[in-house]
Amino acid sequence: MTVSDVNMSAEHQKYRAEVTKGAGLRFISHLDYAALFQRAICRAKLPAAYSEGFNPHMKMSFASALPLGVRSESEYMDFELKEPLQGIEVYKKLGTQLPPEVKIKRIAMIHGKHKALMAEMDMAEYEVILPYSGTADDVHDAITRFKHAGEALFHRVTPKKTRDIDAKKYVRSIEYHIEGDRLLLNLAIASGSTGSIKPGEVLNVLNEQFSLYIEPYQADICRTAIKSGGRPLIELV
Amino acid sequence: MVKLPPDMLLRVTKPARYTGNEWNEIKKEHSGVKCLFALAMPDIYEVGMSNLGLKILYEILNRDSDIAAERVYAPWIDMEREMRDHNIPLYALESFEEISKFDFIGFTLQHEMSYTNVLNMLDLANIPVMSAERAEDAPFVVGGGPCVYNVEPLTDFFDLFLVGEGEEAILELSHAYIAWKEEGRPGGRRGFLLRAACIDGFYVPSLYEPHYDENGIFTHIEPLVEEAKPIVYKRIVKEFDKAAAADHPVVPYINIVHNRIMLELFRGCSRGCRFCQAGICYRPVRERKADTLRDEARHMIDSTGYDEMSLTSLSSADYSCLGNLVDDLMYDFRHEKVSFSLPSLRIDSFSVELAHKMQQIRKSGLTFAPEAGTQRLRDVINKGVTEEDLMTSVKAAFRQGWKQVKLYFMMGLPTETDEDVIGIAKLAEKVLDAYQEIHGKRGAKVTVSVSCFVPKPYTPFQWFGQVSMEEFERRQRLLKEHITDRSIRFNYHDAKTSTLEGVLARGDRRLNKLIYAAWKNGAKFDSWTDEFNEDAWRDAFAKTGIDPHDYNQRERGDDEAFPWEHTSPGVYRSFLEKERNKAREARLTHDCRRSTCTGCGICPTLEAHVIDWKVKNDCE
Repeated sequence: MTVSDVNMSAEHQKYRAEVTKGAGLRFISHLDYAALFQRAICRAKLPAAYSEGFNPHMKMSFASALPLGVRSESEYMDFELKEPLQGIEVYKKLGTQLPPEVKIKRIAMIHGKHKALMAEMDMAEYEVILPYSGTADDVHDAITRFKHAGEALFHRVTPKKTRDIDAKKYVRSIEYHIEGDRLLLNLAIASGSTGSIKPGEVLNVLNEQFSLYIEPYQADICRTAIKSGGRPLIELV
Repeated sequence: MVKLPPDMLLRVTKPARYTGNEWNEIKKEHSGVKCLFALAMPDIYEVGMSNLGLKILYEILNRDSDIAAERVYAPWIDMEREMRDHNIPLYALESFEEISKFDFIGFTLQHEMSYTNVLNMLDLANIPVMSAERAEDAPFVVGGGPCVYNVEPLTDFFDLFLVGEGEEAILELSHAYIAWKEEGRPGGRRGFLLRAACIDGFYVPSLYEPHYDENGIFTHIEPLVEEAKPIVYKRIVKEFDKAAAADHPVVPYINIVHNRIMLELFRGCSRGCRFCQAGICYRPVRERKADTLRDEARHMIDSTGYDEMSLTSLSSADYSCLGNLVDDLMYDFRHEKVSFSLPSLRIDSFSVELAHKMQQIRKSGLTFAPEAGTQRLRDVINKGVTEEDLMTSVKAAFRQGWKQVKLYFMMGLPTETDEDVIGIAKLAEKVLDAYQEIHGKRGAKVTVSVSCFVPKPYTPFQWFGQVSMEEFERRQRLLKEHITDRSIRFNYHDAKTSTLEGVLARGDRRLNKLIYAAWKNGAKFDSWTDEFNEDAWRDAFAKTGIDPHDYNQRERGDDEAFPWEHTSPGVYRSFLEKERNKAREARLTHDCRRSTCTGCGICPTLEAHVIDWKVKNDCE
């Protein structure tokens, strides 16, 4: 029996919501994005469940942190209420208290036992739009070289540590097409408890090591789905 | 409209400072309004967003359908570099419109060390820093806030100033502007400024000329036109209970300095501490009714989703109905996770009891401000607190379970001796002993925080010279030597910036060129210790030939005119002088709030009066 089972009294109800993060909020950090929902839940007067202890916090969890600067069509949030309200009621009440840049796409009641969102997910999908002046052949060649490479190390530097990450280990598929002077990429990136690579980092690898002539900093990146075993997380509950 | 390059915000710290879109932000179509008002703080987002005055004005202006008010703060160093590199001008957070397209840019002047940031923001906005060089269609640059009681060092950069409280005056100014614009801008820029000078509380510095004697001492200021009043008295909201509050404050995404609801209980403080400028400038005391506050608290929590509320005032524990109000608020929000706090505690057990009631769970630490280390010096400053009061309070706190106490002091107060300085260390030790007395063992932690005293205009101490930097540093070392117990932590303020503050606080118009030169030398964010550019200021003094000691260290003569006396909070000079003389004799003056008038002159000058609901028997 886990700790959360002990705390969960009979009437408590858990929910899973699929929500968006618009372009205007793409520079809000993951923690601040979570705080936004906590305030919205307070404004909506939803009966939120809190943890016990000296510093009670709202019971709420997210799938995976979205990199700064990336917008999303599919973020996931699990939360718990002290009363079993209908999903549609929660949807309506919460929806009116969210800023325009955040929309609830779907909301579902969670039945039975579920792993934490973070542990449940194994894949994130992204759509990338870039200004592009090269040819389709150039893109094809770059991606083919990437696919056949033994490894493709990205040198990640953070204030705390520096390490090399093998993009090949995480990138499951890259699809592309060209629309006028824009290059569209669809990336599927393995993402779970064993780590991951950010979409922007993949673009850097493609640019620096596989001669894809793009300016990674100009990319408009959007997370389009988070999945487990090929299914969106919202369908698992 | 400004468009930021896509990667710019990825290169700066805390990019959410620059993107707006917060909850309760008000966006209006600019084509549908007649007056665009940018509300500015010459400091970063986290500081600007924490300012209650700006929150109130934002709501008041935006409630008028003809006016759009938007926010703008100083970009941090990294963002400023990006903006200058990419030719991005300063913009407002709501519309991303350039600040230079606004009709007004209103800066709140909270302290002297923010002055260079005003120049820097104007420059970033492509608005000429000198008001005389502004084109006909440039915004009017207006200043307000606590520094308006001496704005002479800033007269070159501002078109006008608002003295006092802005709730009513800012609307009068905006409406006068709309009328002037609709009449076809008669008289041009100067035409509008002449009109503004006729509205109570507005000071247009270009309509006055200062005079100095052969020794360079200020003698008087001369109004040059009929519209320029000899003395501009501060505006106040007489019926504060009916004044608009910030019921729908913008809720930031990132953490800010005061990230909570601010419920303003009352304006003014009449305790009469002789160093305190706010104590004179915000008089008379005017309370809001407890029922009004209860309603406001409910609206503010509902509109923001905050779970924390601060009961704000200059001395919140003096609110006449505080005990009942706290009980009522705790009852009203008993099913919600809302916590309440008092920003400052009075040194008595009533305050400790209240603090205990309000923070049932977290016992973070209590802060008291004895201000001085000995009884003699506390009497000089009219603090009205004895060592016994402090001991009773800390003992009450220790009994309630607190272990950490923070004590605020000032160094360099008039008449201070080494004995007074050492008295700070002794007092801190007595607080440690008090814990041992209660619990039979050691275990308390005391933080001693010491700032450097800066004499301010319109205080009984406005005549006194400030202690020199070397002397501040000597006294700081002296105190350090006398703090031997490892349970006492000692923090002190940098004497360099405090002595510069001492120059600017009692400066005159000749300091405009000093501030300009310092800014040209790269001074900005002067209140940020890591950013303070001592060389930029030293060079500015040298270049302009200004001797700082003429301003900060020089004791003023009894009959000397002050360069700030035409922007007045309404206090009698004779009252301040009387208080100064009593200070020298360490004699106390009582609080007029619930007792007899002490004759400061503010009520008769402003035709206002103290509003205290206990005196009016309207508390229970």
